[in-house]
Amino acid sequence: MDPKISDDAVGRLPIASGRAELLEEIMSTPVTDRTTAPDTAAAPRRRTVWLVPLAAAAAVAVVATGPLWWPSGGEPASAPGGPAAQSGAEAAADAPTYRAVLDTPGWRVTHVYEESGGNGGEISYRRGQTSLEVHWRPGSLYDDYVEDRRDIVDPPADGEPVEVLGLTAQLWPYSADDHTVIRPVEDGFLLEVRGSGMPRSAFEDLLGELRLVDEAGFEQALPDEFVTASERDAVVEEMLDGIAAASGQERTQGEEQPPITSDQADRYHLGAEVAGQVACAWIEEFRAANQAGDQQRAQEATDVLASSRQWPVLLDMDARGDYPEAVWDYADQVARGEVPEGFRGGLGC
Amino acid sequence: MSPGSGAHEDAFRRLYAAHFDAVLGFALRRVDRPEDAADVAADTFLVAWRRLAHVPAEPEARPWLYGVARRVLANHRRGDGRRSALGDRLRRELATVAPDPSTDVVQRADVTAAMGRLSGRDQEVLELHLWEGLEPREIAEVLGLTTVVVRPRLSRARARLRALLPEGPEPDGSEPPRNGPAPAGHLPSTPQLTREER
Repeated sequence: MDPKISDDAVGRLPIASGRAELLEEIMSTPVTDRTTAPDTAAAPRRRTVWLVPLAAAAAVAVVATGPLWWPSGGEPASAPGGPAAQSGAEAAADAPTYRAVLDTPGWRVTHVYEESGGNGGEISYRRGQTSLEVHWRPGSLYDDYVEDRRDIVDPPADGEPVEVLGLTAQLWPYSADDHTVIRPVEDGFLLEVRGSGMPRSAFEDLLGELRLVDEAGFEQALPDEFVTASERDAVVEEMLDGIAAASGQERTQGEEQPPITSDQADRYHLGAEVAGQVACAWIEEFRAANQAGDQQRAQEATDVLASSRQWPVLLDMDARGDYPEAVWDYADQVARGEVPEGFRGGLGC
Repeated sequence: MSPGSGAHEDAFRRLYAAHFDAVLGFALRRVDRPEDAADVAADTFLVAWRRLAHVPAEPEARPWLYGVARRVLANHRRGDGRRSALGDRLRRELATVAPDPSTDVVQRADVTAAMGRLSGRDQEVLELHLWEGLEPREIAEVLGLTTVVVRPRLSRARARLRALLPEGPEPDGSEPPRNGPAPAGHLPSTPQLTREER
């Protein structure tokens, strides 16, 4: 919304009914405040299914070798994700094995998330109405976790001892078919596993089927639709090739270009980073060309952005979310001769 | 205060009443379509409802909520913004409202335009400072960073913004409020670019 409305003005909007109804809707939902960590971090954690940045420690630099159809005169967008790190495929043989995966047939991966900065991660599985969540968190949080989970029962108490992957863990019941277990710290991390929609006996059976893995083993355990660190370069190259072909530009090898870095395992989010950076660079080029009064450069940038409706990566993403729409909206604005306001924030570049 | 208890509900009602406008405003200032702000507000307060025991006491509650809203918004932009199951009516109402652009804005149009030319990182820290009126300490809470990191980042962003604005008196980034003072502790009437950081 532009101009930027003040909170005072928000308070005077005629939305009293919607505001009141939302309050009641929220308060009619069950409170399930047991799946998340105690607030030891400064900021709340993302909890969104399908937001799948994988293995921050294995962030890989994907060098887009010489996409000269990136505007040579403009300064390409800065790459997110920070400096490149070692690829997960190169993990050492004695890599720590604090992640756990489930190989049991019938269970599918629904969610993968790895915190940045080595702060743990999680993977979720589902089979029908039952689900299993596996979280690994830094060992320094163990006491906080246990203290928090002790409150599951009234009066607060230690969990019942149960063996998980060779160690004696504590188990608490949220209900007859919903349990969580915390495994003591090993290799610097605790494990918490929660099974919902199943009785304790079935949950304990599943716990017995978990397998500890290192980072490389974790990636191997992911379904094919996830992009592993070792595959990421090729996938990004494929996305860039698709964009180049659709825009009628040639990718010429040999010219140094800033790398596109990404630690995304989900094709949607990886595509957003790739397409977003290309789009940002061309919007920047459009602005620079306008300022320089160079109509030819401006027209080229306009044409490339207009071709975004044919970029395969965006067409693939379109069914899953609105990111492509954002790119196309900006392309339309450029076609009207406007530099889209706030496009960097909108595209995340 | 156990989940579902009367005390839990009362505490949430107070939180909602105190911060709804701020959270919705945060979202409205950042989405293209006003109705999308309903999803951000709904999901943000849903998190607060579920995690009420973890919401810090005042005055830290609002930066905490902004931090949640920021992540909800990021997911929304990233395409994970499946429409919230809640807040249909609010969404419909927001789709039809049209605030008077001549009043009640947090920032002059030329400052907004200049900010649009900065990097996403600079924009974010400036937006929190100028739109939400947050101090570096509070910005750090929203972004999950330390004040040590935020303070120089904000200084640099302000310097870059200043360089993009026309010569003249130091811009304060805001329109003069026309409808009385802003809520206490929020949206200071003149969120000056030159304000000393604490």
